[in-house]
Amino acid sequence: MIVFLTLSLFFSLIVTPVQAEIKIKFWHAMSGGRIDLLKGMADDFNKTHSGITVESQYIGSYNETLNKTIAAVKAGAPPHIFQLYEVGTRGMIDGGMIMPIGNIAKPGEVDWSDYVDAVMSYYKINGKVYSMPFNSSTPILFYNKTLFKKAGLDVNKPPDTWNLVREMGKKIMDSGAAEAGITWNMHSWYFEQWHAVQNALLADKGNGREGRAGKVIFDESAGVNIVKWWTGLEKDKIYLNVGRGWSNHRKAFISGQAAMMISSTSDVTQMTKAFNEKGWGLGTGFFPRPDAVPRQGVVIGGGTLWLTKDHPKAELQAAWEFLKWISMPEQQVTWHKGTGYFPIRKSAMKLLEKEGWFNKYPNYKVAFDQLLETKTSLATQGALIGIFPQLRAAVQSGIEKVYEGKATPEQALKEAAAKTNKELANYNSLFK
Amino acid sequence: MSQPFIATFGFPVLSDISWVRSVHLHDASGSSGKGHLFKVWLKGEISGISYAYPSGRSIMESKSIYPHKVLPYLLLAPSFVIIGYFLFYPTFETFRLSLFRLGPFGIRKLYVKFGNFIDLFTSADYLQSFKISFLFSFSVVVFGLGVSLAIAVLVNRKIRGINFYRAALIWPYALSPAIAGALWVFLFDSSAGYLNYFISVLFDVKPKWLTSGSLALVVVTAAATWKNLGYNIILFLAGLQNIPDDIKEAARIDGASPFQVFWKITFPLLSPMTFFLLVMNLIYSYFGSFGLIHVMTEGGPANSTNILIYDLYRQAFINHNAGLAAAESMILFALVVILTGLQFGTSGRGVHYQ
Repeated sequence: MIVFLTLSLFFSLIVTPVQAEIKIKFWHAMSGGRIDLLKGMADDFNKTHSGITVESQYIGSYNETLNKTIAAVKAGAPPHIFQLYEVGTRGMIDGGMIMPIGNIAKPGEVDWSDYVDAVMSYYKINGKVYSMPFNSSTPILFYNKTLFKKAGLDVNKPPDTWNLVREMGKKIMDSGAAEAGITWNMHSWYFEQWHAVQNALLADKGNGREGRAGKVIFDESAGVNIVKWWTGLEKDKIYLNVGRGWSNHRKAFISGQAAMMISSTSDVTQMTKAFNEKGWGLGTGFFPRPDAVPRQGVVIGGGTLWLTKDHPKAELQAAWEFLKWISMPEQQVTWHKGTGYFPIRKSAMKLLEKEGWFNKYPNYKVAFDQLLETKTSLATQGALIGIFPQLRAAVQSGIEKVYEGKATPEQALKEAAAKTNKELANYNSLFK
Repeated sequence: MSQPFIATFGFPVLSDISWVRSVHLHDASGSSGKGHLFKVWLKGEISGISYAYPSGRSIMESKSIYPHKVLPYLLLAPSFVIIGYFLFYPTFETFRLSLFRLGPFGIRKLYVKFGNFIDLFTSADYLQSFKISFLFSFSVVVFGLGVSLAIAVLVNRKIRGINFYRAALIWPYALSPAIAGALWVFLFDSSAGYLNYFISVLFDVKPKWLTSGSLALVVVTAAATWKNLGYNIILFLAGLQNIPDDIKEAARIDGASPFQVFWKITFPLLSPMTFFLLVMNLIYSYFGSFGLIHVMTEGGPANSTNILIYDLYRQAFINHNAGLAAAESMILFALVVILTGLQFGTSGRGVHYQ
């Protein structure tokens, strides 16, 4: 609280209000080098839009940003724009504190057809767009080409199926090239993506898109197969268990403890830098799929930007100007190059292709290809469930239970589903 | 007779001030005059610092009539306002919230009477939290007091460099929980930690300190105990130094062994301090260890370090379920009140005041 006050005081002293009449508060969760990147982009906007000053502020994780926003809403001083993870969509629509983009956009003002299909299929609900897509990602496989060579594997052929992951992971370990074949963090996101790859749904009512989801169905065969494979790899030590949080698996990959890593495409820039420093070769590949199932595709991950209501019209309009600006192709290209999140506009992708970006940096292309090859279906559109945090906690606990041999995959998932269903019923009771 | 006046914490978003003041009244003609214990402690997710000012002052019994009628209330008014606004109001609000089911922003709500409490007590996970909290708390209190008493006895002498040792011993207490947690993670991380590096070189195994359920609880308990040792040691030291040497001298002359001197003289005379530290450590173990757990295990793996206060945090700030979190807050409040009440109830028998 004190840090926030000091920061905002400091910030308001730096951003001398020369012509700024309208101050827009933009709270985001993009850490590390992205803080400065966003600040630079906000400054660019401020320079070209007199009368509006956007203050971009890094709050913390997505969750911390939401908590801060909730507290600010209750205190009567909410930020105009805040960023939240994609799975918070149902919760935010239900929350009653946001101004849907669809309500403020004038007809024809935004060319939604220029937005990448997979992105719009997630964020358009019953024909309406509620939030502005911003940083979209997909899970991809990263691999250490140098260690692959050491293990005698083809450096241009990363594993794209489960069996290959196991095979190649084992080879890597046996050759001594790395301590473990592959790693990723304990997070339900991968579990959810592996459902999409199998064209399986997480919840009823068409993944929550054909009606309000009443129960989860991730404990069916698709989910069980995922947990069986995942925990099987862990048992054989091919998969390095680094626990929760988003930094440990990156560290293990950068340090060479694991030769492969599954993570968000938004890590490409960071991994490229780190591998350049080490003089290693970095490769990327598709998110591995179960062998028996044809690849359906992935769900977009990342986050989106929300407008809060309860602001004077002029401020809402100014904030909307910023949202429109930041999703313009040029800005999306800047954002993509600085992070690895893929641009959400088709015209931005064309710009990148024209300048030969992907030829120079093929690792960035994988996320695109994976998305372009994704077949649209309810599974790849992404589930809409109001209580994703609880769902994720239940799934993660369940998998950890299987790690310790305290439950079989079937039991663990059944228990997790039962817990989630109970909470979902409670949540839904608010909307009867 | 003692009249405990216990006000409690509210919703843990704020740093809460919890106030326990108990006045022990003894017969003025008895060997112990009036003593009073006055404790103020600060709880919150930001720091687990506890302040305490134990004193064995005896207050002169005064029979004069205080001439002013209104002035006392005026003088107390500021305190009451602050306590009312920062303690009572949040407590009532928390109780009120616990009767509702709320949406993410608190805008949608449904009155569910005791539905939240029923949900909690029928949830296997929550009951598991209870069990873990009891285990955790018991260990932190017992080992914390035991080890720090032993160390305080060792440090209670005049040898060269003793001040340095004492400062070094209290140092961990001054660390922020987040930093202490980070240090323990550096040591105990199963893949990249220092300890496992040495163990793997010597024995070729890498124990899963923080990623296996049972071990994680042990490590977290050790960390929480270690963190509070400094505080206990300093206070035990003060208590030990308050014991007059002549009593021990007399016992030694009478032929008592050091063991007997300790258990029959030192320890009983230390009992006010021990009792005080018992309560403080209990509070610490239930509330103050949140930061450590958040940094080290986030309540995992598989909820094995999900003590009550951590589950409360989860419900409030990750699940955004304010109603359920408020209910948990009430339950935790009741639990600590009962435990503290029990301790005060038994204190008359065991504690010797001088």
